[in-house]
Amino acid sequence: MHEDAPIISAERRERVGTKYAKRLRASGRLPAVVYGHKEEPVSISLDRKEAVRMLTRGERVFRLSLDGDDKQFVLIKEVQFDHLGTDVVHADFARVDLDERVEVRVPISLIGEAKGLKSAGAVLMHPITEVEIECSLFNLPDEIEVDISDLDVGESITAGEITLPKPTMVLLSDPDTVLATITTVEEEAPDEAATVDADAEPEVLTRKKDTEEAGDKKPEKKEG
Amino acid sequence: MPPYKIPKRVKFRKEMRRTSRVNRNATRGNYVAYGEYGLQSLESCWLKSNCIEAGRIACQHFLKREGKLFIRVFPDKPVSKKPLETRMGKGKADVDYWAARVKAGTMLFELAGVSEVRAREAMARVAMKMPVRCRFVSRRMSV
Repeated sequence: MHEDAPIISAERRERVGTKYAKRLRASGRLPAVVYGHKEEPVSISLDRKEAVRMLTRGERVFRLSLDGDDKQFVLIKEVQFDHLGTDVVHADFARVDLDERVEVRVPISLIGEAKGLKSAGAVLMHPITEVEIECSLFNLPDEIEVDISDLDVGESITAGEITLPKPTMVLLSDPDTVLATITTVEEEAPDEAATVDADAEPEVLTRKKDTEEAGDKKPEKKEG
Repeated sequence: MPPYKIPKRVKFRKEMRRTSRVNRNATRGNYVAYGEYGLQSLESCWLKSNCIEAGRIACQHFLKREGKLFIRVFPDKPVSKKPLETRMGKGKADVDYWAARVKAGTMLFELAGVSEVRAREAMARVAMKMPVRCRFVSRRMSV
């Protein structure tokens, strides 16, 4: 399956650290690291445009072309973004063999129209967008489809309920993790803010000491 | 001005301004975590509690009961201000307003359960109420 994995050309980074990484990024390169298989981690740099194009296309397994050798397969493990989440600033790759079992996070795709969404105020919530599974690299799925057509208001689908595409795959995420649930949005009071007292102040936890020192009154509430 | 949203309890009534920590980039709370779309701040500021409330009202009045709004910032910083024409000194002034510390990249609001078109329209209305430049964002690519 991944014999035709895209080749990503890399250069070895001789100088590492924030200063040199910034210079690399300014010159259109993307700092990255390759590790795994009990070998020394290698700091590399990639062509930023090429790497981002491949990542946005959904590619996860690459053939790394480094020092004239392009036989090493690598799996993308992590991508770091800048503070605005627009630019990729770093990428982690793990060395893998094609017959190896790997632990990967696979995105979830919700299919079907939930029957609970037909009622007024119902909202589909899916806080988790990916699950972690263990599978062989040959069977690495692009996404896992979860059918939500039977989901009603108040019901939820957990990670333990989904059917993995292959029986050899093992779910590593917590089986109780909620993947999708349908909740009803409660109508808020129209002038909720106006009901707040204008002189409202938060309770001050250290105020008790002041009153004790002054010796005026006993504190109204004793904090535990 | 009524305080719209303030902490229930605090350790100290007033705190130092710490203005040197304002103009920084967000390293936490800077991606869409709960909803599908979000409004991200592109500048840093102290976001007043009434601005957050104005944004909430603008969004919910536009969407009616459609979708779910998440407010990702909370005004937990008391900001004190001396009254006008007051001489300096005589101790720290009373708390004037409560603010959320917002850095460039902070996710201010998130929306779930609405189409992208509706979310864009709603967030455009919220952005009008914000004292900083904002932009509409969706979830990051997952690897």
